[in-house]
Amino acid sequence: MLAAGHRSSPDSRRALESLCQTYWYPLYAYVRRRVLDVHEAQDLTQAFFASLLERNSLEAAHRERGRFRSFLLTAFKHFLADEWDKAKALKRGGGRRAIPLDLDSGESRYAHEATENVSPERLYEKQWALTFLDRVLNRLGDEFIAKGKERHFEVLKPFLVGEAQQNSYENAARALGISEAAAKVAVHRARRRYREILRAEIAETVAGPQEIDDEIRQLRAALG
Amino acid sequence: MTDQRHCPKCGAELSADAAQGLCPKCLLDAGLESHASGAAGGAPTGPFITPSQAASPTILPTSRFPTPYLETLARQFPQLDSFEHLGQGGMGVVYKARQRNLDRIVAVKLLPPSVGEEPAFAERFTREAQALARLNHSNIVQVYDFGRTDEYFYFVMEYVDGVNLRALIRDHKLDPEAALKIVPQICEALQFAHDEGIVHRDIKPENILVDKKGRVKIADFGLAKLLGRAAEDLSLTGTGQLMGTLGYMAPEQLQQAHSVDHRADIYSLGVVFYEMLTGQLPIGRFEPPSKKVQVDVRLDEIVLHSLESEPSRRYQHASELKTDLETINEFAAQPPRFVSDYQTLESPRRRLGASIAEHPLLWAMAVFFSLPLLFALVGLAESLIAWRALSNPNPSIGPNPPIGGFIQPYAILIVLFGPFAFLTWAYLWRALHRGRDEGSRTA
Repeated sequence: MLAAGHRSSPDSRRALESLCQTYWYPLYAYVRRRVLDVHEAQDLTQAFFASLLERNSLEAAHRERGRFRSFLLTAFKHFLADEWDKAKALKRGGGRRAIPLDLDSGESRYAHEATENVSPERLYEKQWALTFLDRVLNRLGDEFIAKGKERHFEVLKPFLVGEAQQNSYENAARALGISEAAAKVAVHRARRRYREILRAEIAETVAGPQEIDDEIRQLRAALG
Repeated sequence: MTDQRHCPKCGAELSADAAQGLCPKCLLDAGLESHASGAAGGAPTGPFITPSQAASPTILPTSRFPTPYLETLARQFPQLDSFEHLGQGGMGVVYKARQRNLDRIVAVKLLPPSVGEEPAFAERFTREAQALARLNHSNIVQVYDFGRTDEYFYFVMEYVDGVNLRALIRDHKLDPEAALKIVPQICEALQFAHDEGIVHRDIKPENILVDKKGRVKIADFGLAKLLGRAAEDLSLTGTGQLMGTLGYMAPEQLQQAHSVDHRADIYSLGVVFYEMLTGQLPIGRFEPPSKKVQVDVRLDEIVLHSLESEPSRRYQHASELKTDLETINEFAAQPPRFVSDYQTLESPRRRLGASIAEHPLLWAMAVFFSLPLLFALVGLAESLIAWRALSNPNPSIGPNPPIGGFIQPYAILIVLFGPFAFLTWAYLWRALHRGRDEGSRTA
């Protein structure tokens, strides 16, 4: 964990908050599997994040030199095992909400998504992978939007998965009102930028650059 | 039915919610793929990556290659349709497909295009593929066809509707009983291939498939050798994955790949067996399986015997391993019967008939030796009676005829044939008894 773990500085805290903001849903899906009551699940999730940020557990994460994805789940499991009672008291006693989590939309998302017969852990892993991809795509999309090229992003998105087929460049060019050659260049740039962002995002959650490929493979495997 | 969208690359079903309508797996793959695939300006960006950072020269860069679009596949394989991406490893990418004319489901494996760069590869490919096509065994994934298209070398193989052992181990669906049903089938497959002179060289849970009927099928025979790798499927992933692949290779395979023979497969089988029983790899100073899980102690010996570092100290044949396993299975399955149980089950006449069928030569010999003997004995008896009749109790009347003359010919016969007959009968007796004993043990 590169940025988020180094020192208990406002930067690292912000980085952690950002990660938590993004990846809370997989944890929620996990706990919903284990705890059938919706309200209790929501409370648990909220309390966990409050506790996480409060005690700067990032030091532990960094020391562990592990991956944020695994760390988060492990910490959550520990929390569920021991800390729940304490946190309950904390909440009743006016524990502040550390990060705003949109738990209601989380619940409707959980309810909508196909509930396959997988273990809570595997559900967590799968949701993590999907959440991760969303985050990457959104970041890329934001960059396009900032340049006023939202339409470009929509047209170029399908090309992100790989080398295009014969006549699709033609269609893209037409849709954007540019030449086919320009379309090819645009695709190439978008793919490159996508890849950069993807790998940078992974780098945020693993111990070092040599682990990036492996983490990508594991995410892929988690998708079943 | 709603119109389900499918990924143009891997054919997987897409959901509108996930990954903004794109294929999540392919999106992740795109994060891995080497940049030089087609587009200009292929220098990878960023401080991270790449194979060039590999310190050790024996580690080869990952051979992931950009997977083709299904449309491309359909063009290159006009005899196949209904492609579906099944998986990808260092040895290539596999699709499920349908052979149009035969209307049967097959699996198609495409080898990484990089293999074609070596000039001698095409020739080796043909030779190896022909050898593999000879491996016709119910526990080996059958090769139906092979060849090359413009871009790929490929195999068309039997499609196995099931899972691989890796998935079973990971999901903890293997109890020792199941393992004991799986391993003998692997032994049969290995023995068959070894008899044909083919060594797998890459036995690991990923290559062992189990179909819905519980039948084991071993995949990727000979591919390791074909792709000419000293250490198979090495890729620059995290160290965890590296060890995982190496963990199944026999010591001699890791050290000098050239002096490797079929016994390397037996070692790998030992590793897989251990992992099936205990869930872990036998690394360093490992404990015997019976100390980690509840299994028969006799299994320890079998597993350890396969895991000997020195090839000459291992099982020399997969069939030996299987036999040892069967011994345990039998005794474990039922307690030994009493002899009386057995005797009431089979009539003596049937046993006799079976015995004659089993040892025709012996029985013939027994009869051959015995008839003259019998004849001689009868004759001897007769002449003795005759001699007694001829000789009188009163020696004063006259001398008795010498007995020798009467019995001589018979004595000769007895001396000649007696021992042989005796030996033959003794042998038959033992054989009959051993058969009876064995018979009482089988179901």
